[in-house]
Amino acid sequence: MSRGTPRLLLPFVGLVYIGLLAPLVVVIAVSFGPSVAFEFPPSGLTLRWFAAFFASQSFVTSFFRISLVIGLIAAALATLLGTAGAVGLVRFRFFGREALETFFLAPLLVPQILLGAALYLFYARLAMPASIWTLLCGHVVICTPFVIRSVTAGLVGMDPRLEEAAMSLGATRLQAFFKVTLPLLRSSLLSGAIFAFIISFSDINLALFLSGPQSTSLPVQIFSQIQWQGDPTIAAASTLQILIIGLLILIVQRIFRLRLMV
Amino acid sequence: MAIDPASAIKSVAPVEVSHRVRARPTWTLLTGPYALFLLVLLIVPFANVAVFSVHPYSPTHVALSGLTLDNYAKLFDLYYLRLFGRTARLGLITTVICVLLGYPLAYWLARARPRLQRLGLFLLIMPLMVSAVIRIFGWIVILGRKGLVNQALFALGLEPVKFLYTETAVVIGLVNILLPFMVLPLMAAIERIPPSLEEAARNLGANWLQMFRRTIMPLSLPGLISGCLLVFAESISAFVTPALIGNPRERMAGQQIYDMVLVSFNWPGASSLALTLVLLTLLLLFAALFATRRAGRLERGA
Repeated sequence: MSRGTPRLLLPFVGLVYIGLLAPLVVVIAVSFGPSVAFEFPPSGLTLRWFAAFFASQSFVTSFFRISLVIGLIAAALATLLGTAGAVGLVRFRFFGREALETFFLAPLLVPQILLGAALYLFYARLAMPASIWTLLCGHVVICTPFVIRSVTAGLVGMDPRLEEAAMSLGATRLQAFFKVTLPLLRSSLLSGAIFAFIISFSDINLALFLSGPQSTSLPVQIFSQIQWQGDPTIAAASTLQILIIGLLILIVQRIFRLRLMV
Repeated sequence: MAIDPASAIKSVAPVEVSHRVRARPTWTLLTGPYALFLLVLLIVPFANVAVFSVHPYSPTHVALSGLTLDNYAKLFDLYYLRLFGRTARLGLITTVICVLLGYPLAYWLARARPRLQRLGLFLLIMPLMVSAVIRIFGWIVILGRKGLVNQALFALGLEPVKFLYTETAVVIGLVNILLPFMVLPLMAAIERIPPSLEEAARNLGANWLQMFRRTIMPLSLPGLISGCLLVFAESISAFVTPALIGNPRERMAGQQIYDMVLVSFNWPGASSLALTLVLLTLLLLFAALFATRRAGRLERGA
């Protein structure tokens, strides 16, 4: 920090961070509090809302059967599509490459609530009922750009001569990719996959339109419970999501550059 | 003359030639699947929205055929003009507050020691990735009738204030969710400003505030512009925040679309509104992209 930085800067930054983190801290505190009302600060410490969460059929289903499953499949598909796309974009020169890159990142530019509405109307036109698959397809659309971004960053930071050297030593292009490039891409690939999972796992805007009664994702479940004035089981479910996402972001920060992801 | 190993490898290996010959089929194979996927699940759905938007609407029939511009004409009704006005106003207020809170934070992050910067970035990005519903749920607890804020007011001997289901609550929620979108581009822009420039300004007698205004602000302008456009674009299509803690009688555009699609089944009306909003957002975001690209070029001295 340069000399003469105003003394108020640090306290100001501290206050902004408090405001930024306050809702998460409060939710976590409520999930451990004994009161049925959303009470903060909590008057005691209990795990009863976590017990209630695991006893609730609808919460368990939406957490483990829907959100977790969709998140994992969406991350796997996004990683496949995105890695192939990023390699094609970075390692080849062709007409319209930049336009294609913009197109590939377009899902980040379209407001999610509008994409959700558009996909809903699209499925309605095709008379496809809402299911785990309709939601999954929507999630792959919004997850893949994150994989493309991180794998592109990984590829750009890598020396293409390594691959060329492998090929001049007799490896085919495919062998060079799988034996040299892919292992070097490991951390950017994993970061992309993790972010893809997080995006799917925490998405609400698409899920509001695309999840049906049999495929209610966890955020939608929380959303409707809030509207129906549920009990702190909502907070317990939220705390679990916060913990999972916090842990995953920590991993990304360790193995890759977090800033490139957002 | 120094020999560049890169050019040495390239001139010897026949790789270049062979991959140019095979280039076309390979890149289409690689980029094709996702391109196709986006075509079917992004382009076609919005084309479908465009088609819906020129269909006539009847409360009794779901999809009528026919061609009309009524759905766009309706967007000029007083009801919609007020909806747009309210949405834009809340978006602007949110953007201004994000600038005021985000600039100092971005400056601090950009100039922080690496270890502190890592922590700061984690604490900025982690809440961003948690579902918006959860963060808004937190605000319901904080701002509620017996919430943290009202407890504090009560302790001070003041009357409780109704925060929830007001525009104030919506702005608080939106600022909380969108602040990182302001801080990250600003921080990137400030990091590119050499600290020696700050020193120079200080040595020439500027106090910190003058230095910030005359050095940091003009040089980080592209970051500021792209941050503002991002925050504004995100806030005008907000749904979860106004739906959970806003006044139900004073809706924002995102809520209107949600209701028209899922509650009143006015798909043509929802489509014209959605298409207008998408085009507006894309316009704003391409402006942001242009601002940062141009800044990049300027930096390279072009």
